[in-house]
Amino acid sequence: MALLRNIATGLRSLFRREQMDRELDEELGTYLEMEAAEKMKQGMGRREAVRAVRLERGSLEITKEVVRSAGWEFFVEMCWRDFRFAGRMLGKNLGFALVTVLVMALGIGASAAMFSVVNAVLLRPLSFNDPDRIVTLSSLWKQDGSHGPVSAPDFRDWHDQSTAFDAMAYYEDDDAAVTASAVAEYAHVAMVSPEFFHVFRVQPVAGREFSPEETKPGSAGAVVIGNASAVNHFGSAVNAVGHKIRFGGRTLEIVGVLPPGFHFPGKSDVWFPSNTLFPDTESRSGHNYSVVARLKPTVTLEQARAQMITIGSRLEQKYPESNTGKNVAVTRTRDDMVSNFRLTLWVMLAAVGVVFLIACANLANMLLAKAVGRTREIAVRAALGASRARIMLQLITESLVMALLAGTVGVLLALWGARVLVALAPADVPRLAEATIDTRVLAFTFIVSVVASLLFGLAPALQVLRVDLNKSLKQGTTRSTAGGLADRLRGTLVVAEIALSMMLLIAAGLLLKSFVALQNVSLGFRPERVLVVESNVLASDLEGQKLATRFYKDLLSNVANIPGVLHAGAARTLPGHASSAGSYWVDYLPQHPDFSKTPNAVFSVVAPGTFATLGIPLLEGRDFNDIDTYNVPFSAIINEKLAKDTFHGQDPIGHVIYWGLDTPDPMRIVGVVGDLRQWGPARSPWPEIFGAYQQHPASSTNLNVVVRTAMAPAALSESIRQKARALSADVPLKFTTMEASLSENVAAPRFRTLLLGVFAALAVCLAMAGVYGVMSYVVGQRSNEIALRMALGASPGDVSRLVLKQALVLTSLGMVIGLACSAAVTRLLQSMLFEVKASDPLTYAVVIAALAGVALAASYVPARRAMRVDPMISLRYE
Amino acid sequence: MPDKPSDLVQGTLDMLILKTLALEPMHGYGISVRIEQMSKGVFRLNAGSLFLAIQRLERDGLIDGEWKPTENNRRARYYTLTAKGRKRLNNETREWGRQVTAIARILEAS
Repeated sequence: MALLRNIATGLRSLFRREQMDRELDEELGTYLEMEAAEKMKQGMGRREAVRAVRLERGSLEITKEVVRSAGWEFFVEMCWRDFRFAGRMLGKNLGFALVTVLVMALGIGASAAMFSVVNAVLLRPLSFNDPDRIVTLSSLWKQDGSHGPVSAPDFRDWHDQSTAFDAMAYYEDDDAAVTASAVAEYAHVAMVSPEFFHVFRVQPVAGREFSPEETKPGSAGAVVIGNASAVNHFGSAVNAVGHKIRFGGRTLEIVGVLPPGFHFPGKSDVWFPSNTLFPDTESRSGHNYSVVARLKPTVTLEQARAQMITIGSRLEQKYPESNTGKNVAVTRTRDDMVSNFRLTLWVMLAAVGVVFLIACANLANMLLAKAVGRTREIAVRAALGASRARIMLQLITESLVMALLAGTVGVLLALWGARVLVALAPADVPRLAEATIDTRVLAFTFIVSVVASLLFGLAPALQVLRVDLNKSLKQGTTRSTAGGLADRLRGTLVVAEIALSMMLLIAAGLLLKSFVALQNVSLGFRPERVLVVESNVLASDLEGQKLATRFYKDLLSNVANIPGVLHAGAARTLPGHASSAGSYWVDYLPQHPDFSKTPNAVFSVVAPGTFATLGIPLLEGRDFNDIDTYNVPFSAIINEKLAKDTFHGQDPIGHVIYWGLDTPDPMRIVGVVGDLRQWGPARSPWPEIFGAYQQHPASSTNLNVVVRTAMAPAALSESIRQKARALSADVPLKFTTMEASLSENVAAPRFRTLLLGVFAALAVCLAMAGVYGVMSYVVGQRSNEIALRMALGASPGDVSRLVLKQALVLTSLGMVIGLACSAAVTRLLQSMLFEVKASDPLTYAVVIAALAGVALAASYVPARRAMRVDPMISLRYE
Repeated sequence: MPDKPSDLVQGTLDMLILKTLALEPMHGYGISVRIEQMSKGVFRLNAGSLFLAIQRLERDGLIDGEWKPTENNRRARYYTLTAKGRKRLNNETREWGRQVTAIARILEAS
C-alpha cells in the first residue's frame, strides 16, 4: 500500500512538476509568513522579521531543493536530464559519437553473434523432455581414454544388468535410400531398439510406436517417420499413417509419425526397429552401435557411472578376449554431442571478448582525451555545487547512452554475423542452425553494453575526481591539466591493448601455421577434377546385394563412355573419410585370435579403375579387373605401409590375407598401391587393405562413384544422372567433388583459423589506432617541451626519436606482458594444432617483429608532426 | 551564548511529528512551534528537515495533508494523523520507552 502510494505520488510529481512546485512554494511561503508574523508581534519590522526567519530556518530555496530531491522521482528526473544532456553532447560531437558507437557496435555485435552460436550449441538445453537425464553410453577404451561405439552383446548385458536407467536403447543411423513416392531419395534413417522412444519420452503425434511383434527378428517390419516428411509426402501426419514406403529392398508400413522437431540422431526422419531388416552383429568386437539411456529421477550421473563401471569390469573378466581394456563411459548426451566443438567455440568466444576489451580500451582512451578537454566545464559545474558523484554519474550516463546505442546496432550486426558464422562453421556442428537472437542473447548483449559503458566511461569519470578545481579554473586552458593519473591511465590502456592483441596474434599465427601445414600435407592422391557421386542401392539379402554390384558394373561401363570422362571407379569410402578398420592376419587365420596383438588396417572396397581415377600410384602387381568376381578366389590389394609393416621387404604378392570385414575367406594379394591419408590430413597413413567390390557385395550397396574428368567435374553431373536413372529409378544420387569432400576434413581448422585471423587483425587495427591516438595526444601535450628543445638546438631527428622512444617503451611493455600471457594461454590450443608446437619460436618471433613494426609505424605520423613543430609559433602561442 | 538547540536523535523527528498531530490536525508551522514549545526550546526545527519528514510521512500514508484557509486568510496545508499513523506512533512510543529505560539502566549501572 505504502509503496503504491509512494509510486503514485512520485509519478504525480513527475508528470505534474509545475503544480507540485507551486504547492511546495505556497506551503513554504505560508510557513515563512506565519513565523514572520509571530516575530512582528514581538515588535520586529517586517523586513527584519523575514530576514530573521531566513537566518534561523535556512534559505527557502535550499529547503525546496532538499525537499524536492528526497523522492525517488527526483532521481529518475535527474537521470532523464542526464540522458537528454548526454544526447545533446553527442549531437554536438556527432563525428566522435558516430565513431565511438560504430567501434563499440562492432565489438558488441561480434560478441553477440559469437555468443548466439555458443548459446545454441553449448548452452541451450536439448529440446527433449527433461533433457538433463538423457545420457550417452559408449565403450571406454582404457588405454587412451577414448570413447567409441558399442557392440550388440555388450549393450544387451548393460541393458539387463543395470538398474540406474528408466530406459536404454541403441541405434545406428546413416543416409540411405528411401522411396516414399516415385523416386528414391536420400533420407537420414535410424535403426533403433525398442526402448528408444522411451529414452526421449517422445510420443507419436499420429499412429503408434512399434508393437512388440514388429521389433522381433523376422517381423514384417514397420517404420515411424518424422512430421516434416509426413507433411511433405502425404499432406499431414494423420494421412501418412498406413501408407507404405520402400526401404532396404522391402515395403514397410508407416505406423506412426513423431512430433515436429524430433530428429535424433542427427537429422533422422525415418526410424525402424533394429534386428529386423538387418540382423544385429553378434560379435563382441563388432562395435557398430551408439547407446542412449534415460537416468532414473533418483539416480545421479555419478551413481550411474559407478554402476556401469562395475558392470563393465564384470564383462571384462567374463569375456577377456573381446573386452580386455574396455569399460563403459557415461556422459550427458548434450555434452557428448558437442564435445568436439566445445573448446573451439569457447576459444572463439574468448577471442571475440579480447577484441571487445581492446575496443573498450580504445574508447576509454578517446573519452579520456575528451574528458581532459572538458576539465573546465566539469570544474565549473563542481564550483556551482555539483557533487563529484553527481558529475561521475553524468559522465557514465553519457557513455551508457553511447553503449546502448551501440548495443542496438550491435544486435542488428549480430543478426547478420550469426548467419555468417553458421555459414562458415563446419557442417557437422550439432544444433548450429538454431543459432538465433533469443532473449538470452539479448540479455547478454545488454549486459555487455552496460559493462562496456562502465569500462570505457569509468576511466574518464575517475579522472574527474582528481581534477584540481582551482588550478583548472585558473589556467583556463585545456592543456596540461590532465594530471599524472590520466597520463598513466592512457599508457596502461595502450599497454593492455598491445598485450591483448599480442595474444590474439600469436594464437592466430599458430593456427595459421598449423592450417598451412595441414593444407600442404601430401594426401597420397590427386583430388583435383574428380567428380564424386554418392549413391545407395536398396538391398537386404545377398541376391539384392549382387544386383547392386551389377548396377555399379553397368553404371561404370556406361559412365566410361561419356565424352570428357578420363577414368571412372567406385569406392565404399572416400580417402580422408575412412570409416572401418580392424584386425588382419597374413598367411593363416588363427583359431582363437588374440586381438590385442594383431595389427590393424583400414578396410576398403573398390571397383577396378579407382586407383587410376584418384591418381593413387600402383607400385607393384595389378589393379582389380572384371575377372575378380564373386565366384573366383578373392583378391586383395594392400598399401605400401602394410607391405612395409608386415612383409619387411619380402614380396607380398601371392601371399594370402584375412580381414575382419565381411568374410573369413582368404584373399590373395595381387597388388601394392601408394599410401593415402585415410583419416584426413591430420593423421598419418595407416596400413590399408582393398577388396574388389564384386567379391564383397554386402559392402558394395552404397558406393561413391568417382570420375576423373577432362573439364570442370560438375559439368558431367547431368549426363551421369541420366545414365543412372536409365538403369534404376530407385537409386538416389548426390553429386559433389573430391575437393569439396576433402574440405570437410579441414572445415573445423579452417573455421578456427579464419575466425581467429579476423579477430586478430581487428585487434591489431584497434590497438594501432590506440597507439596512434595516444602518441598524437602526447605530441600535442608536449609541443612546448619539443619547441623548447628545438629552440635549444635539438634536431628534428632527435625529436622524432624522442617520440618513437616513448611509443617503443609502451609497445615493448605491452609485448612483454602479452608474451607472458600467451605462453600461459596458448597451451590450451595445443589440441587444435597440427605439426606445430604451442611454443613455436618462429611464430612468436614473427608476431613480435610484426607488432613492433606496426606500432612504430603507428607512432611515425605523430613523430613526424613533432618534427615539424615550429618553435617560434609554439612558444609564442603559450 | 546560550546552549544551541540540540540536534534530534536520528529517527525521532518522525515520532515527534506524529505525536504532535495526535492531538489535532496542524500545519507545518504549527508543528514546528508545538515541538519547540513542548521541548521548552530544546528542539528547533530547520524548515528543510521538517518538510522533508512531512513529505516522507505523507508518502508512507502515516499522515494526510489537506489545503485549508488559516485564521488570517492564507492557505496552508493541514496534516491529520491516519489510522496507520496512530498505530505507528503507539508502536514507536512503546519501543522508545523500552529503549530509554534500557539505556538509563546502563548509564546508572556504574
